[in-house]
Amino acid sequence: MNSILYLAWRYLLWHRWKTAILVIAVTLVLYLPLGLQLVVQQTARDMTARADSSPLLLGSRGSPLELVLNALYFSAARPQSLEYGNLQLLRDTGLALPIPLYVRFHSQGFPIIGTSLDYFAFRGLELADGRQMVQLGEAIVGATVAQDLGLSPGDSVVSSPEGVFDLAGVYPLKMTVVGVLAPSYTQDDGAIFVDIKTAWVIQGLGHGHQDLNKPAASAAVLKKEGERIVANAALVQYNEITPENIHSFHFHGDNTANPVTAILPVPRDDKARVLLLGRYQSDNAVQMVQPRTIMDELLVTVFAIQAYVLVAMGLVSLATVAVVLLVFLLSLRARRAEREAMFRLGGSRNLIAALMLAEIFIVLVAATVVAALLTAATLMWGGPLLQAVVMH
Amino acid sequence: MNRLTLITAVLLAAACSPAEQPKSLASYAADSARLEIYTVNYPLAWMAAELVDDMAEVVFPAPGDVDPAFWQPDVDTVLAYQQADLVLLNGANYARWLAKVSLPMHKLVDTSSAYKERLLAIRASPVHSHGPAGKHSHGELAFTTWLDMDLARQQLQAIATALSQYLPHAQAEIMTRAAAVEQVLTRMDSQLSSLGQSLHSVPLLYSHPVYQYLQQRYQLNGKALHWEPDQEPGLDQWQVLDTLLQVHPARIMLWEAEPLPAVTAQLAQRGIRVVVFQPMGNRPLEGDFASLMAENIAGLERVAPR
Repeated sequence: MNSILYLAWRYLLWHRWKTAILVIAVTLVLYLPLGLQLVVQQTARDMTARADSSPLLLGSRGSPLELVLNALYFSAARPQSLEYGNLQLLRDTGLALPIPLYVRFHSQGFPIIGTSLDYFAFRGLELADGRQMVQLGEAIVGATVAQDLGLSPGDSVVSSPEGVFDLAGVYPLKMTVVGVLAPSYTQDDGAIFVDIKTAWVIQGLGHGHQDLNKPAASAAVLKKEGERIVANAALVQYNEITPENIHSFHFHGDNTANPVTAILPVPRDDKARVLLLGRYQSDNAVQMVQPRTIMDELLVTVFAIQAYVLVAMGLVSLATVAVVLLVFLLSLRARRAEREAMFRLGGSRNLIAALMLAEIFIVLVAATVVAALLTAATLMWGGPLLQAVVMH
Repeated sequence: MNRLTLITAVLLAAACSPAEQPKSLASYAADSARLEIYTVNYPLAWMAAELVDDMAEVVFPAPGDVDPAFWQPDVDTVLAYQQADLVLLNGANYARWLAKVSLPMHKLVDTSSAYKERLLAIRASPVHSHGPAGKHSHGELAFTTWLDMDLARQQLQAIATALSQYLPHAQAEIMTRAAAVEQVLTRMDSQLSSLGQSLHSVPLLYSHPVYQYLQQRYQLNGKALHWEPDQEPGLDQWQVLDTLLQVHPARIMLWEAEPLPAVTAQLAQRGIRVVVFQPMGNRPLEGDFASLMAENIAGLERVAPR
């Protein structure tokens, strides 16, 4: 038996290119439907898990899907913002702990999430290094961000301008990294977290500048009319918040009119969740959505598309199997002289048949092993790899 | 958003692996056996301490020589606030450092939330303008709310309610204690109301603009200066006072602390009597909120017309 396998193995090695093509073809037939199924199932499971862990979302009226994808998965599509004052209204109901989310800005391709410390407690995010953010201008980075950008406490990240030609728009703000989160294997690993107030500073709603009453700022004073001081463009505005200048940072007016992209209410209990849904049902300005429901609707579409893809793959697999069979049959015909030579040398018909079957067996085993390895790799790295491909 | 984008977004989530479980509000409750309550000023610390006795630890970490309203805690102190089970806020934008730090919202209790409409606005700094935001001032709200005993009572109620939620087993005891403290505040409110009637037509001076709520509640007729008890006013400040006295002939001046003897003497020359009325934003060296407020009231009674 060993000699048959050895002869088959040597034959396949001699015809290595033909063997490789056969192994690849069979591997793909085995792996592709399985891999797709696994990726989609894993995706569905993970997405619904994150949606399940976020029972409600409050956002501005508009696409609920955009709201959910932005607030839970930090997607680039930004829903219309709503006023921060809604958070206090929600808190006043006593039905839920509201957590603000302002997902708008980026730094080196990673989303900057403006939120409160409650977010970390709610998601169960732990610090692996450093400390929690304390004051304006401090940032906590996710494990992936820290790894990809080589960040550790004490380093800095700079927010990206929203548009190259938007000279009057958002200025970059240099923020100090004070902590790195332990991996959570969620979207939080790829995010930069700042206090909601820091996000407003990035937007320019809060800022720090020279004290216009001090002589050092005299060059920046355009005119004084009683208690009113008008500054000119020479007024130095700070693009980094330091212990030396933090006292000069301020917000104009009440924060209640400042924007957030979503509010994540953590209901006191299930009854509170239902009550909140009812309260916001007829609100024309804001909407309360259940992320799980929205994701289920989306996944129905995904599964429908997956079914079409699987049917198409089935047809391609049939064609591939037919081609592989053809290759084997043509190979047998082409090797008639070889078989006759083996017969004359004393090889029985059974032995020769066994040799041919062994070759097919080895190809199938090799393809199965490669397909299994690919499936295992998909289970481990399918998501991140796909993410990397899409990001680039 | 087109469907392709949606599908991409779905597939992107493949990066996740462990399932997440929702957290309830109850899970945020303190793990430690003893509740730790942090406050931003002394009156709140006093009220909380009166309510919890030894059931919880009340911490007011500001150093004794600073005004907690303008104090800037260091990083370690803010981290301690973050670790507390409950943080009692005064509201009215008191403690400006709060606007520049991160604290967990679920631990914050704004004791002024019941009377937002009664907060008094002040203009504390010049109006200025730069950029597209238009003119603005960094002025704030008057914040010594506890000098209005009615507002102090409401702050006490807010603290009692919050503590009852955190210490449900001690709710009855907390409410009993709250009733006792409320009686003290109510008595002071009556005394100050009577004093307000006596002083209604008497022009007063305040060494600092911190008595807005006292004036509002008890119908006092005072004008505020910007004098410090431990500093001798400059010539220009005396001139401002003399000018003011021509239109506002005050004979009583309320001080946050005892002024320098020389200042007292010069005021006496102008016929002005000094009355120490401590706002007690910070912890007093001796006594507590109740005893010192009683002294404040007694001081006013001594100068009020019979």
